[in-house]
Amino acid sequence: METDILAVEDIVGGYGKQTVLNGTSFRVARGAITTVIGPNGAGKSTVFKAVFGLLRVQRGRVVFDGREVTNLDPRRLLELGISYVPQGRNVFPELTVLHNLELGATAAGRDANVAGRIESLMERFPMLRRKAGAQASTLSGGEQKLLEIARGLLLEPKLMLIDEPSIGLSPLLVKETFGILQDLRAKGVSILMVEQNAKRALEISDFGVVLELGRTRIEAAAGAILADPRVGQLFLGGHIAGS
Amino acid sequence: MLLWQTSQTINFAQGEFVMLPAFFVLAAMKFGGLSFPMAMLAGFAVSLLVLGLLFKRLVVEPVIRHGVLPLVISTIALAILMKEGVKEFYAADAQPFPAAWATTNLQVAGMVVSVQNLVIIAVAALAVAALQYFLAGTRTGRSMQATAQNPALARVLGIPVGRMVLYTFLINAGLVALASFLVSPIYLAKFTNGETLGLVAFVAAIVGGFNQVRGAIAGGLLLGVVDNFVAAYLSAQYRAAIPLFLLIAVILLRPQGLLGRVEERTV
Repeated sequence: METDILAVEDIVGGYGKQTVLNGTSFRVARGAITTVIGPNGAGKSTVFKAVFGLLRVQRGRVVFDGREVTNLDPRRLLELGISYVPQGRNVFPELTVLHNLELGATAAGRDANVAGRIESLMERFPMLRRKAGAQASTLSGGEQKLLEIARGLLLEPKLMLIDEPSIGLSPLLVKETFGILQDLRAKGVSILMVEQNAKRALEISDFGVVLELGRTRIEAAAGAILADPRVGQLFLGGHIAGS
Repeated sequence: MLLWQTSQTINFAQGEFVMLPAFFVLAAMKFGGLSFPMAMLAGFAVSLLVLGLLFKRLVVEPVIRHGVLPLVISTIALAILMKEGVKEFYAADAQPFPAAWATTNLQVAGMVVSVQNLVIIAVAALAVAALQYFLAGTRTGRSMQATAQNPALARVLGIPVGRMVLYTFLINAGLVALASFLVSPIYLAKFTNGETLGLVAFVAAIVGGFNQVRGAIAGGLLLGVVDNFVAAYLSAQYRAAIPLFLLIAVILLRPQGLLGRVEERTV
């Protein structure tokens, strides 16, 4: 078994003629948390869209679990074991919490025990059971994020892509959300996340990737990136070296 | 309205969509020599094909890429095309359309009630109930709602978005065909039928709330009641102005509609 669950190899992609990713490369270790950081416009979210088949990769390749998956359809990637929690609010506001969860299992095989998996997720996150019949629009920001993560887990993915999990959440909820990610890692799920809150994210991560203008600048252990003075400079003397 | 939700399609030809299926049936009888029940089936099938599939493939999909406004204009053009097409190639005068049920009147508690109206109400109520059940009670229905509420997210979860949108167009086509078969025996089949129907339906939807099926039904009822009261107690001459008057009042006072919810727009 290879040690890396995902390899992004020299990919180029963007919107129209404008490329955002200009030869981005990095690896995601199996069973670990890897965080992608970088200044605005570095291509952090774009790289997720490219990996998940939402944005065409024009050059380079994406390898997941030993097989090439470049430009595969999201549906196929879900079936192979990648799930993606996009940035912002991603619930169907007028459906109930339970139905929102259920839709996360759309790509599940016929023999998958969806009801059983929902049951065990509700066991783990009691809020989901308590609010199962409520419209998703009535949930707080933190509850919605929890619902999104739980929904992403329904297919029992090998790799989870999470874009900005902490955005819009209170410090307490950020802590809780990061705690859930650590639990997932302990259960063997590999996690790749993008975070604005670089310092906090790197503190719970095993590895870090620093992107700038669509290229990989640094790829190293999370601790090494936290200690790297160049990273502080990249953020204009900001978050990492500071606080 | 369903179309608006799933595909951001505002169809200004919706009234003509109700006018046309009756002519499919009449044409099937006149030129195809089919019996009335067979012609209804054929008309229904042709409606699904033309007003569902072809409308989506040939009009909505190529045009929506350029924005909602070009699509709106295209549906207005389509309305004119359908109207004039029927006038040129079938008939300019009102055509009798057979009713699939008894047309007698009943005496109920001293009032005269036409069986026909009862049938219309019953079938319409049944259709709405079936639609609501399908949308809320089945997985496919909920996937359609999900596609309507957040298509980008639906795609991320592996919901076959394209197929859900197609279902929406087919359901819409099926419903307009049904409506056509229900109202044509009363109003007769005429190429101009779409004008009033489209206006009334559109106003009903806005008055009730554009994003709620319940709202549109309530809006339709309100419109009907107000319309008849004005005709009875004020003057029938003002009748045609009623929908427009209601429309202006609602837009001024309650722009989201009576039962509608305010749509959040994210930037």
